[in-house]
Amino acid sequence: MDTLVAQYSRPAFEEEGYSQEDQHQLAQITPSLSLNFALPPLANPSAFLRATTDDHANPDCPIKLAHGTTTLAFRFQGGIIVATDSRATAGNWIASQTVKKVIEINNCLLGTMAGGAADCQYWLAYLGMQCRLHELRHKRRISVAAASKILSNLVYSYKGMGLSMGTMCAGVTPQEGPALYYIDSDGTRLAGNLFCVGSGQTFAYGVLDAEYHYDLKEDEALELGRRSILAATHRDAYSGGFINLYHVKEDGWVKHGFNDTNPIFWKTKLEKGEFSNVTSSLV
Amino acid sequence: MAASIFSSNPTLASGPNYSFSQAANNAAAGVKEHSFYPYTDNGGSTLGISGSDFAILAGDTRSTSGYNINSRYAPKVFKIGGDDETGEGAHIVLSVVGFAADGQALKERLDTIVKMYKYQHGKNMSVKACAQRLSTILYQKRFFPYYVHAILGGIDDEGKGSLYSYDPVGSYERESCRAGGAAASLIMPFLDNQVKNNNQYIPGSGEGHELVARKAEPLPKEEVVKIVRDAFTSATERHIEVGDGLQMLVATKDGIEEVYFPLKRD
Amino acid sequence: MPGFDFSNHNRNVALHAQGVPLPKATSTGTTIVGCIFDGGVVIAADTRATSGPIVADKNCEKLHYIAPQIWCAGAGTAADTEFTTALISSNLELHALSTGRKPRVVTCMTMLKQHLFQYQGHIGAYLVVAGVDPTGVGLFTVHAHGSTDKLPYVTMGSGSLAAMSVFETQWKQKMTREEAVDLTSNAIQAGIFNDLGSGSNVDVCVITSDKTTLMRNHIKPNEREQKQRSYKFARGTTAVLNEKIITKEEISKYVTVHELSSDDDVVVVEKMDIDS
Repeated sequence: MDTLVAQYSRPAFEEEGYSQEDQHQLAQITPSLSLNFALPPLANPSAFLRATTDDHANPDCPIKLAHGTTTLAFRFQGGIIVATDSRATAGNWIASQTVKKVIEINNCLLGTMAGGAADCQYWLAYLGMQCRLHELRHKRRISVAAASKILSNLVYSYKGMGLSMGTMCAGVTPQEGPALYYIDSDGTRLAGNLFCVGSGQTFAYGVLDAEYHYDLKEDEALELGRRSILAATHRDAYSGGFINLYHVKEDGWVKHGFNDTNPIFWKTKLEKGEFSNVTSSLV
Repeated sequence: MAASIFSSNPTLASGPNYSFSQAANNAAAGVKEHSFYPYTDNGGSTLGISGSDFAILAGDTRSTSGYNINSRYAPKVFKIGGDDETGEGAHIVLSVVGFAADGQALKERLDTIVKMYKYQHGKNMSVKACAQRLSTILYQKRFFPYYVHAILGGIDDEGKGSLYSYDPVGSYERESCRAGGAAASLIMPFLDNQVKNNNQYIPGSGEGHELVARKAEPLPKEEVVKIVRDAFTSATERHIEVGDGLQMLVATKDGIEEVYFPLKRD
Repeated sequence: MPGFDFSNHNRNVALHAQGVPLPKATSTGTTIVGCIFDGGVVIAADTRATSGPIVADKNCEKLHYIAPQIWCAGAGTAADTEFTTALISSNLELHALSTGRKPRVVTCMTMLKQHLFQYQGHIGAYLVVAGVDPTGVGLFTVHAHGSTDKLPYVTMGSGSLAAMSVFETQWKQKMTREEAVDLTSNAIQAGIFNDLGSGSNVDVCVITSDKTTLMRNHIKPNEREQKQRSYKFARGTTAVLNEKIITKEEISKYVTVHELSSDDDVVVVEKMDIDS
């Protein structure tokens, strides 16, 4: 009975406005990139989230999140090539053609974005912060293996909550040399020489597997990365926009442009005679 | 118990039943599920364009639910971090469209944070910092999202107009123009063509594939205001949830200027 | 075979079950009203046609001809109102020819309700039927499921509540023609401004024992203002990969080509807005 009385005798305005925690958080000088997330007041929050935001499970869902991608990265004798498209889609709507899907974690580490745009942006920023903290604590740069593991452990702790990300971590460290890892929101973490991730991955693999070998020269490798993304943007409606190209070398990464696919496509077709399925003149 | 046979509304839980098809059903009814749906779409549209030394955020002032108009003047664009309730002294503008209650909550939260920043650091928050902070605010509710499309505008550290657009859970990007809300799919292609000069080529600059594409040039403020007005009068013509009034907040180095134009009310 | 073709029905049900959405029909989310006055009846409608939240037609006609002295205002699925009224109009004409009398409003209303009831609401036509016949003035509403009403003033469509509020405050008995036209116009305008499914202009049709007057765009309270900028593109702005010119002689193989001189009377049905 006492508990019942206690339950109903609190002042009615007690829960009005910001809670104690909220106020504390607002008054903090530096906002924590915290792991405190609001949840809907339900027994099964992830089912609610799926019903409202997952356009694959429910095409009429009210909140459409940015999705769809082609990203690739591969190791070769001269380092690692990282290439992505730049399109973000929400359902059938092209939300943006200018997304930066390569995230510069620090001057030696790159991350790529596929899946939920916000998930990737937020957690790769979080990873960047953890990497910097590691540097400050241990006075040396974090290994790619360790960085990728921070991310995979993190997403694994949220498994089943609806995070959606397929990401690659590429970097060069003195102890590892060029290293490439694939991490996704299921908790998978793989080391490898070559990965393509996203809705256009199959198209990119098609070109990449055909031409790839470890002894590629630098310019050949860059061109192969570019050409693989081009193939994916050509055949996958959810990929397109610009080709974002990076080369990770011993002494850090180098950016090789953010270029519109359209002129590259016509150049490839007209100068190299590829894409002969496309006509450039009326019959 | 006999009375319940004639009762049209035997219990509160089973609700009103006046029709024959749902005549008083007092048999042990199964568990009734009431689905949790905390969102309403309040319609309307917003749009932002940044220029060389200004940023404009605009929104219509109609608030709807279904076929009804809740209000003909419910602002969607707000000044953030002002010194008083009028927003005087603010240097950042925010527009939110979607579910108005979430939009209001988001605006209030960001406003508090920008003010707290000023009190604690003794200087205004930069637009870049505010943009990143807004992203984390939205992501805090990753598992119970704010049902909003937000656009943030202001003047960056170099004095250039800056504009950031967000998805409901905080993925963001700096852009030159962006339309949001109900008529986004009507306005955005117009902006791509008129602001970014997409799909426009320089006449006579070449034959076939040699034709040179028109580059995007920064537009003067007066022209941008005209584009915004035309975008909204056109959206009003073809989208039922857009209309009543057009509110614009123009951020320049001198502060934020508010402009209002009436729109069609049908 | 007469009547509807159901050959795609099973396929569409199967597709729908797989989650393919049904195609959106243009609906006249509408305000339509009717009101009798001393010596006749007046019906009125707005002119907005919508497809979901998009305005499909800014100036459509929702007042349909049934017989010279019987007109119908339609709400609901645009195609259904159009074809149902056309069908009944045609049947009523045959009926008038075979009986040798002027058609009656009740006859029209009965034919409509029987037709609609037969299809159990699947024909989404919501109608206001009005007219003058030898028995006097008639004003009815017909719902898609087949129910009907006979009242001195009626409203239908998504804006019916807004319009009815005007009638309920301002209607009075034995109005003059002018009063009735103004009242119905005001009722429609209440719908235009307060219901999102209704908009643009007011169409009015006045029927008296000796004459029917259709006042298309009687009130135009929503004219679009002049655009701020000109959106004329210089010739050559659009990229062209290749061009092929088909001469008049070549076209003449397939169609008949008539040369029109400038002083010929060109029939302009409705003027199109063109950017200056």
